[in-house]
Amino acid sequence: MLTFNFMLYGLAVVTSLACMLLLFRAYAASGMRLLLWSALCFVCLSVNNLLLFVDLVVLPTQVDLRPYRLIAALAGLLFLLYGFIWEAE
Amino acid sequence: MEDSAFSDEFCRFIQTCVTSVDSAELLLKLSEQPDVWFEPAVLARSLGPNTAISDADLSRYVEQFHAGGLIVVGTDRRIQYRPASGTHAKHVEMLAQAYKERPVTLFRVIYALRDLKIQSFADAFKLRRK
Amino acid sequence: MIEFMSGAITLGFALAAVFFLRFWRRTSDRLFLAFAVGFFLLALNQGLAQWLSAADERVGYTYLLRVIGFVIILAAIIDKNLSRGRPSRFKG
Repeated sequence: MLTFNFMLYGLAVVTSLACMLLLFRAYAASGMRLLLWSALCFVCLSVNNLLLFVDLVVLPTQVDLRPYRLIAALAGLLFLLYGFIWEAE
Repeated sequence: MEDSAFSDEFCRFIQTCVTSVDSAELLLKLSEQPDVWFEPAVLARSLGPNTAISDADLSRYVEQFHAGGLIVVGTDRRIQYRPASGTHAKHVEMLAQAYKERPVTLFRVIYALRDLKIQSFADAFKLRRK
Repeated sequence: MIEFMSGAITLGFALAAVFFLRFWRRTSDRLFLAFAVGFFLLALNQGLAQWLSAADERVGYTYLLRVIGFVIILAAIIDKNLSRGRPSRFKG
């Protein structure tokens, strides 16, 4: 069960990290600010996923990282929505 | 390739001043009667029964034409075609020609340029860049 | 404060999903549809996790929604790299 959880939440971490890297790479190549805000969003979502991983898989009973997870997710969404509203067209 | 006939300069003109087919038709209609002052809403309606331009879109197009040096806006909010330079006029002529001779290509280019930034988000996820 | 942030995040994910749907309509690029679905699942996860109390054992299952959301996003990235052709019809 632990390995299953490990893989599932680990996959979420890997995916958000991949999105972050690809968006940063594209931003470096084109300078398009929409990509920067999107990349920053995925930085925060990766932090969020990482903290979730620690919270649920690594130290399930010792810590409750919920407040920090929420701050990370909220910051990420603010970056993304700012980019979509001001830089998407 | 078909699209190579559109120069970078013309594409930049399209990207800033002509962000939809409706916008292109409005501009062309304006340029056909350069001595006339038009009420924007009336002009939009004159495009025909199949075209419906929202007020928000209409004011955005007028703003883009104005910022692009293609029209003047009177105190009564009516507009008149007045290109700021020969280059501006030339771009509108190229637009008219493309609209007449290669409309499908033109429309494709208009929307591709409009969606350039959004498309770049999707293209960021291609691992191998061409 | 927690409830406030949780609500804001739920709404934020849902709003992002709506934007992705709009981008999909404009470009016909499947990737945007996948991101829209993924982000909608993230919104659902956030909403449900808040709605069920922390002691509720079903909370653990809501996090599976998040995983599915990211799996869909991952699938979209893989799909983008496997299928090369893009539909070239213009949108009116």
